[in-house]
Amino acid sequence: MVLHIAKRELYDHLNSLRFAFTVVLFLALMIANAIGHFGEYNIRLTEYRKKVATSLDTMKGHTDSLFSLMLNGPGQLYKKPSALTFCADGGERFLPEYVEARNYGWMRSWQAPGEKPVTIQNIWHLTYPQSNPNLWDITPDYTNISWVAIISLVLPFIAILFTFDAIAGEREQGTLRLTLSNSVPRDLVLVGKFLGAFLSIGIPFVIAVLINLFLLYTAGGVPLGANEWGRLGLILLVALIYLSIFIALGLLVSSRAKRSSVSLTILLLIWVVWVVLTPSTLGSLVSGLQPTKTIEELDSYRWQQRKNLNAQYPLGKGDGPTRAIPATEMTLLWAEYVKKEAQLKEQLHQEHLTDQISQINRARTITRISPASIVQYTIESLAGTGFSHHLSFLEAVHRYAPEFRQFLLDTDGADPKSPHAPYVPEGASESPVRFSEIPKFEDSNRVSTDLNAALMDILLLVLFFVVSFALAYLSFLRVDVL
Amino acid sequence: MSFRFSVAVIICLLLVVTNTIVLIDDYEGRLASYNTAVRKHQIDPDMVRTYSALQIKIDRPPNPLSIFNQGLDRRLGNSLVIYYTYVPALWDTVSHSADNPFLSLLSSIDLVFIFQVILSLLALLFAYDAVAGEREDGTLRLMLTTPISRSTILLAKYIAAMICLIVPLIISLLLTLILFAESGSLNFSGDDWLRMGGILLTSTVYLSLFYLIGLLVSTTTRRTATALMLSMLIWGTLVMVYPSLSVFLANRLMPLNESKLKSAYREMEQIWGAFEREREDFLKKDPVEGEEINFNVKGVIMTPSISNSNEAKLQYHISRWADWDNIFPESEEQIPHVLAFYEFIEPKRLRAAEKTWQVRAQALEQNYIRKANFTRNMMRFSPAAMYDLATEAWAGTDFDGVEDFMVAAQQYRQTILRYYRDKDAFSSRQWFAVDKGAVSWDDLPEFSYQRAEASTSALRAMPDVAILFLINVGLFLAAFLIFVKQEI
Repeated sequence: MVLHIAKRELYDHLNSLRFAFTVVLFLALMIANAIGHFGEYNIRLTEYRKKVATSLDTMKGHTDSLFSLMLNGPGQLYKKPSALTFCADGGERFLPEYVEARNYGWMRSWQAPGEKPVTIQNIWHLTYPQSNPNLWDITPDYTNISWVAIISLVLPFIAILFTFDAIAGEREQGTLRLTLSNSVPRDLVLVGKFLGAFLSIGIPFVIAVLINLFLLYTAGGVPLGANEWGRLGLILLVALIYLSIFIALGLLVSSRAKRSSVSLTILLLIWVVWVVLTPSTLGSLVSGLQPTKTIEELDSYRWQQRKNLNAQYPLGKGDGPTRAIPATEMTLLWAEYVKKEAQLKEQLHQEHLTDQISQINRARTITRISPASIVQYTIESLAGTGFSHHLSFLEAVHRYAPEFRQFLLDTDGADPKSPHAPYVPEGASESPVRFSEIPKFEDSNRVSTDLNAALMDILLLVLFFVVSFALAYLSFLRVDVL
Repeated sequence: MSFRFSVAVIICLLLVVTNTIVLIDDYEGRLASYNTAVRKHQIDPDMVRTYSALQIKIDRPPNPLSIFNQGLDRRLGNSLVIYYTYVPALWDTVSHSADNPFLSLLSSIDLVFIFQVILSLLALLFAYDAVAGEREDGTLRLMLTTPISRSTILLAKYIAAMICLIVPLIISLLLTLILFAESGSLNFSGDDWLRMGGILLTSTVYLSLFYLIGLLVSTTTRRTATALMLSMLIWGTLVMVYPSLSVFLANRLMPLNESKLKSAYREMEQIWGAFEREREDFLKKDPVEGEEINFNVKGVIMTPSISNSNEAKLQYHISRWADWDNIFPESEEQIPHVLAFYEFIEPKRLRAAEKTWQVRAQALEQNYIRKANFTRNMMRFSPAAMYDLATEAWAGTDFDGVEDFMVAAQQYRQTILRYYRDKDAFSSRQWFAVDKGAVSWDDLPEFSYQRAEASTSALRAMPDVAILFLINVGLFLAAFLIFVKQEI
């Protein structure tokens, strides 16, 4: 019986103007998306490899002595592009694509009367690019035609067009009364209508998606392995759950509204407010509540912290470090200072980064009251792009930095000719380092972490669906047919 | 009036109020960081002591009308270094705010976007049953039995609907103005009021356009349900899909002319290579031994060199500023040679800068600017995008508005060069040394920037407004002709 109703609904839809529009729209958007991303992945990957190679070359140039490596650090650490950028662009053009792990050379030198000149140099630490890399882009602001845009904005709009008159329209024409007089249970009518709408939107959508993937795979240079197919399958699943939410919502409103025009008005306003405007308005509103430190505050805070540190050390006077073995007290003292100074600066940069990230995370948490945001975040996580990938990239950097430091210490410890007071040139090993032994940074896109990030959001979407479907169900059971 | 009207108006007002609060807050933040930047960027006479070290940082103030349409105002770089060795362009700007770079991830919405989406929807919801509905109810037939002509009916419907539609627009604007007044940080000049008037006018034309689309659909369809569906499909395409789709495709499919960028960069390298050769030749002929860096002058000397090059942004210049603190008496005889060197080389450097700019301006124009203009023109097939571009021009947050600042910056650099000439800076000792006293910056001309006048903005917005108006006329005529000839 359910299948019968669903079939009838489906055939009804297939003949309609909106179905033709839906097919054309999905195809146009998905093909545009594919064409827009032709070759993009390869270009980005080549660029990424080139940058990594340059960075490694620079590092190789610092292997003549361990101290030189200690001074200059591993260089720039780059974020790897994802093959699935066409699914979710994730605002990547606004995100920095690297973290600096190198030296911002300053040095202090002084000379006590009758003594050798003393020079203290700082060593590498992590810093994060502060400005948006997109400052010169003069093209107008636009929503990237990625899967995210198609799914989060267009799919619910189509769902509304298919369901607003599903019940209200039949009531207006009197056919609802006719159907129900035929001893068809109401819940089956609802489920049938749901399935009919779901199939008549879902099928063209999936076909458009397959065409999109076919184009990208054959002509677009996007490699699709088991990993990517798994991710794509999950993205499709998320899209269909999201679609179901709006079909259920459409049925709910349609069963409550007296006339189909009223139903459409309400649904469109819900769509505009909940899907189009809420994510941005609420995001900006929440992020504005607790702004991060301004440049001035930050500068004076950092300056104060550095001053506190410097107060503990006899800067600008006294002896310098020497190459004596075992290391003299002065050598150890200066080595400690240089290390602490780098640590402090890195810590200050990280504090600011944490502030910035939590500002965004607060906004992201609140915007989850709109399923459009949830779907965006989920697809971004699954595609390995956007903010969530940026966070996992930063995590990888924060795992790598201590590993690199430990390598420096271990290598220094293994050199019998070193005074073992690293971080000052006099106290560290001077023997060359074998390039192959140095741990190298590589950003990875791990399915498990990405899935973990997406799981809660998927559950939240399911919850939205269950609630809206239950409401539609209850409402339809109690609806007056006349 | 009707249910849909009241719901739509309430939602429109709600959105306008919340977004205005967010936008004012954002504007105040940007204004504060601008003021901080201006304070920090004032010339510090302890740090900048010689003419050659004069690098002036200037900042672009945020535009208060960006609340209506943010355009490029918030996104583009807003801080710039003015220096005699290069002509500044947008591609040299950086951002002065301590902005959280991740904030760009949260797209922000301006008032024009709300109007663009909600008011067009409202207009269509008003129009779709204007004719088709009355036809279904039979009231249309009744009305036509009275001696009222068909054209009067259509015109009356249009006027009545427009009055109803302008009401929420005006109320929104009034609420916005009340919130502005409340915040106190927004100071509008007389010109700004004219601009706001322009935005109101453009909004009205835009609203009317969508009402007429709905009216046309309504006269051509037999049933209201079809009219409604068709209106929504047109709306979805024109307002939501097409603008993004066109920008996306135009952006992706129109490639930059990489070879032209590369050859421009090579040309710039050659210009500076020739400059370097001239410098070396001069030094070779100079009887005094020693490099430019200090000419064997003894004392406390600082001569950092800056050569800035970036191929993607087409930046290239070489400069060396000098700040010699103290010159020992035995080196005094070298000084004429140093003076002669700078007197020779600095005009050459200026010429290299001008030549570089000619090459660069052309390459930037032919690549980035042409591409952006192409993208804008592709957008214009949607009235919603045209409305967006027109209001951007009114608000002065469009590309031309940002360019105005760049032009002011370039003029300011000319002013600084004139100041150098007046002071005979290139051949003065204070070009490189402060042992006879640092330069006093008392009469250094200050940078000032005024946004373009409202009339300029009006001229920039006019093409789009005019096209929108013409589409209005066309749509009305089409609806009229169809309605007059129709059988009821």
